[in-house]
Amino acid sequence: MIRAGGFLAALVLLWISPLVLPISEYTHHIVGLTFMFMAAALAWNWLGGFVGQISFGHAAMFGVGGFVAARVMLATGLPFGLAWIVGGLAAGVFALLWGHPTLRLRGPYFSIATIGVGEATRLGATYWSGFTGGSSGLSLPLDGNPTKYELYWYGLYLLAAAVAISWWLRRSRIGLGLLAIKEDVEAAGDLGVNPVLYQDVVLFLSGAMVGVCGGFYASYQAFIDPSDMFSFDRSISLILMAVIGGIGVALGPLWGAVVFVIIQEFLLASYSQFYLGLYGALLVLIILFEPLGLTGLAARLARFSRVARFSRITR
Amino acid sequence: MSALLTGEGVSRHFGGLRAVDNVDFHLDEGEILGLIGPNGAGKTTLFSVAAGSIKPTAGRVLLDGVPVSGRSAHRAVHLGVCRTHQIVRPFARLTVLENVLVGHHYGRPGDARRDPREILGFIGLGDSTDRLPGELTLAGRKRLEVARALATGPRVLLLDEVVAGLNPVEAAAFVGLIRQIRDRGIAIIMIEHVMHALMSLSDRVVVLDHGRKIAEGLPADVANDPLVIEAYLGTETAGA
Ligand SMILES: Nc1ncnc2c1ncn2[C@@H]1O[C@H](COP(=O)(O)OP(=O)(O)OP(=O)(O)O)[C@@H](O)[C@H]1O
Ligand SMILES: [Mg+2]
Repeated sequence: MIRAGGFLAALVLLWISPLVLPISEYTHHIVGLTFMFMAAALAWNWLGGFVGQISFGHAAMFGVGGFVAARVMLATGLPFGLAWIVGGLAAGVFALLWGHPTLRLRGPYFSIATIGVGEATRLGATYWSGFTGGSSGLSLPLDGNPTKYELYWYGLYLLAAAVAISWWLRRSRIGLGLLAIKEDVEAAGDLGVNPVLYQDVVLFLSGAMVGVCGGFYASYQAFIDPSDMFSFDRSISLILMAVIGGIGVALGPLWGAVVFVIIQEFLLASYSQFYLGLYGALLVLIILFEPLGLTGLAARLARFSRVARFSRITR
Repeated sequence: MSALLTGEGVSRHFGGLRAVDNVDFHLDEGEILGLIGPNGAGKTTLFSVAAGSIKPTAGRVLLDGVPVSGRSAHRAVHLGVCRTHQIVRPFARLTVLENVLVGHHYGRPGDARRDPREILGFIGLGDSTDRLPGELTLAGRKRLEVARALATGPRVLLLDEVVAGLNPVEAAAFVGLIRQIRDRGIAIIMIEHVMHALMSLSDRVVVLDHGRKIAEGLPADVANDPLVIEAYLGTETAGA
């Protein structure tokens, strides 16, 4: 496991590398975007992995964050960083609005509810064209919006924040309470854990972080429309990143986000019609053979090379 | 002197079934109260109501005059009432120590909570802190269930059949533990089918049958109560 020192060193390296390495402009942009996806996947995993509540509706918060940030920038001229934060807070509050009642549901019932929430939000956003621009979308202000080149570093800050929160959630008392809730919500309550409160806290954090990511994405694209921001694909993509990387493993989704972007940018750019089939196949394979995703695979390989004969027993 | 824990006309119905039917009870400071009755008598349901896990249909349970029933389980724990489960429910993917830490971190606020490792040593799991619950014997998991509850710093501990299913040696050890817990100033209500354990520990016994309280008194008196004998003979023989 990477420790805090390694984490800081990695941050510093990533911070300076575009300044000293001959990285193409395209790669530079894509890596910045990947940072944001990593942060969003980690944030999805706070709810999906730590609490075990699988949300199929996180695009709702991504979209709310993006549109609120865009509107704030257009209306007030607030610096984009603050606008993202306002968008994130709005997304967190929005998440609580539907999540507080639905988080009492567990397992598939919760997941089904989130599908409804996600789709309802998408439809609402499409019809509320006064705010979202409807099907013709919304352009961000020309001045005040950062360039893709600058956004690399802001993506890195987002990622750093998401990693720090992931660690804090995992290591703190809250983390223990969340694990207890995930294992047996009633038994947790019988030991004094307030399941409603802690699930709400996590949902707020998760929604707010994904909302900030939506703000980043709005700045990155400089133009957003509801069908993209709120799409069901976007919710699914967050699940995929977490599942590919390793659901429930604190930093697993990081690697999932990398794989996701690689598939998205380099494979699917030319074969977009395969995209659902490929993701579907990937998901089925992982769930069947390696539920802990890439993290589980790495652990398995490490064990396999060390104690090949016993690997099946120790697992 | 008013009692520490008081049940006032507690009822809990499941559809048409009166699982607990208008039961009054009280538990004094430093007391061990035995709760017995045939299978399905409503003992566990009464615990669930007292621990806030399920809401009563009528009546309420008070701790020092403050209602602990009817709201939520965590609130009852914060006030000082903690229950164990008849079928143990450890957090399977947390270690023994982490299981206890949950109770320690989230239990009753204040200084009442003791060091989790000390509790594990006391309960006899001092050597198993880093193991998973699944690696423990049934007796070990029952100890863990009690240790977790103790870690919340309860004033009242509700023990649901912690001795049942253990061999005589383990059972005898558990009887000693329960007595020591009481000596630490924690009042206890224990549900138990293992009669000798219950009779030797209880200061007083309450008997439920079909949700109603049919007898209450000293262990020896209750054991000879014709109503109680009939309730048991009508369904099953009191286990030994
Ligand atoms: N959640 C529930 N829903 C419906 N019926 C229930 C529920 N919980 C308990 N009951 C019923 O209520 C009655 C009392 O059950 P309870 O578990 O309280 O009995 P008990 O005295 O603890 O029995 P045992 O000695 O077998 O543990 C039983 O008939 C049981 O089937
Ligand atoms: Mg029972």
